[in-house]
Amino acid sequence: MNSVIEVASLRKTFKGRDGTSRTVLKDLDLTVGAGEFLCILGPSGCGKSTLLNVLAGLDKVYEGRASVSGGRVGYLFQEPRLLPWLTAEANLDFALASCRVPTSRWSELKSRYLAMTGLSDHRDFYPHQISGGMAQRLALVRALCVEPGILLMDEPFSGLDEITARRIRSDLLAIWRETRKTIVFVTHNAYEACFLADRILVMSGGAFRHEMRVPIARPRSYDDPAIFQFSRDVIKAFGDEIGREQVPSVLAESESSLVDDLDRHAAARMNI
Amino acid sequence: MVAAVIVWGVLSLTLPPEIFPGPIETARTLWGEIVGGNVWTDLAMTMLRVVAGLLLALILGVPVGVLMGLNRRAEAVLDVWVMIGLTVPSLCYAIMAFIWFGLNEGAAIIAIAVTAAPSITINIWEGVKNVDTKLVAMARVFEATRPAIVRRVLMPQIFPYVMASARFGLGIIWKITVLVELIGRPNGVGFKLFYWYQLADMRQVLAWTLLFTIIMLLIELLILKPIERRVFAWRPQVAV
Repeated sequence: MNSVIEVASLRKTFKGRDGTSRTVLKDLDLTVGAGEFLCILGPSGCGKSTLLNVLAGLDKVYEGRASVSGGRVGYLFQEPRLLPWLTAEANLDFALASCRVPTSRWSELKSRYLAMTGLSDHRDFYPHQISGGMAQRLALVRALCVEPGILLMDEPFSGLDEITARRIRSDLLAIWRETRKTIVFVTHNAYEACFLADRILVMSGGAFRHEMRVPIARPRSYDDPAIFQFSRDVIKAFGDEIGREQVPSVLAESESSLVDDLDRHAAARMNI
Repeated sequence: MVAAVIVWGVLSLTLPPEIFPGPIETARTLWGEIVGGNVWTDLAMTMLRVVAGLLLALILGVPVGVLMGLNRRAEAVLDVWVMIGLTVPSLCYAIMAFIWFGLNEGAAIIAIAVTAAPSITINIWEGVKNVDTKLVAMARVFEATRPAIVRRVLMPQIFPYVMASARFGLGIIWKITVLVELIGRPNGVGFKLFYWYQLADMRQVLAWTLLFTIIMLLIELLILKPIERRVFAWRPQVAV
């Protein structure tokens, strides 16, 4: 598998006003293969977003090397970041025009990804007229319709309610299966990472602490006890680093059959 | 509006009509002036000064406001100057302009524009500072060019502030125009007001004030409001 993202000894330091400096990325090395789904798991403030900004080219001041090949970069932010004065479709047009996609292809691309996310009937709505979940879907469509080779996602579903987030996660996996884009997905949610990723990198304090492959066959089902089990192992092993709290013993003992799926998820989330 | 006319009518009863005429009498006087053809030249001249003054004020005020919003250095340097500009009374600007540039139309318009520009600057400055930089980052991720970002991401965000400051500026400009006409122009609504004041004819003074107010309301309702409604159609309605 040839790699599309190569990062070597990446260092990023922010200077404070009082002259003190804070290193948020500490000599990171990272290789991401073409078509891989990588999750970077870590608590807020661990440097995940900074890393994505470097990869996206938003942040150009850093030491070390960060090269991204394999086509255009698509980015899905934590918030939809739609232009509120444009309709759903005009927002897509903005992205297509900005990326200089030939106009002859616009309608085909828009229709394709709008259909994949179930938004075909909402082309003429303004962002404030659709729900938060739909807005984030639309942002996903916008990221996809410029046909990026690499998709960077910065906790894109953390602001959504759990049911909506689950649905979009499944959509995302279906789209990924079909398009085979390289995805770097940043999250603080262990369950989400285990459901989505081929490989998980645990990040804390500006460095990668652990790396693991997710040994669960695809296609995956969100309710699969194996995912729950694996996410629990991840939390148990790295809970100290990715979050302050330990796994409560109650959760460790309860078996999946007893706990409602959503509660399970919430419990897994809480520990990160 | 009806209430305002009633209040005026009631209050006018407290003083003799030659000192405080009521709405009906004032309207009759105004009608007489309009029919007599005494209104149009003065009104046109005032309108010309208002429009030219507003345009010049926007030309001066908007770029400075944008610069201050974008650049910290510029903000630090210009902050004091804007405050000074805001503090100096409009009468001083009018006097300076007439003394330095002569008693002509250009001086009048400069005085009007300079008076209104600082408040326009402040409005735009606030607007640019409130620009959502997350949207700019989004546009950069999608490889939008700088001109495209300015035109399609920044301008739509700043435009509401330009509209607001144009309206706000207009309010200031109406007042200063009348003052400028009073001290240095041979025509215009302000000139007429002063003329009738010197003749102590309160019917005419109020008639001209009424005319002025009506024109102002018409501009607000027939020009500014519709523009705003059309431009901001995308905005959600706020129900409180």
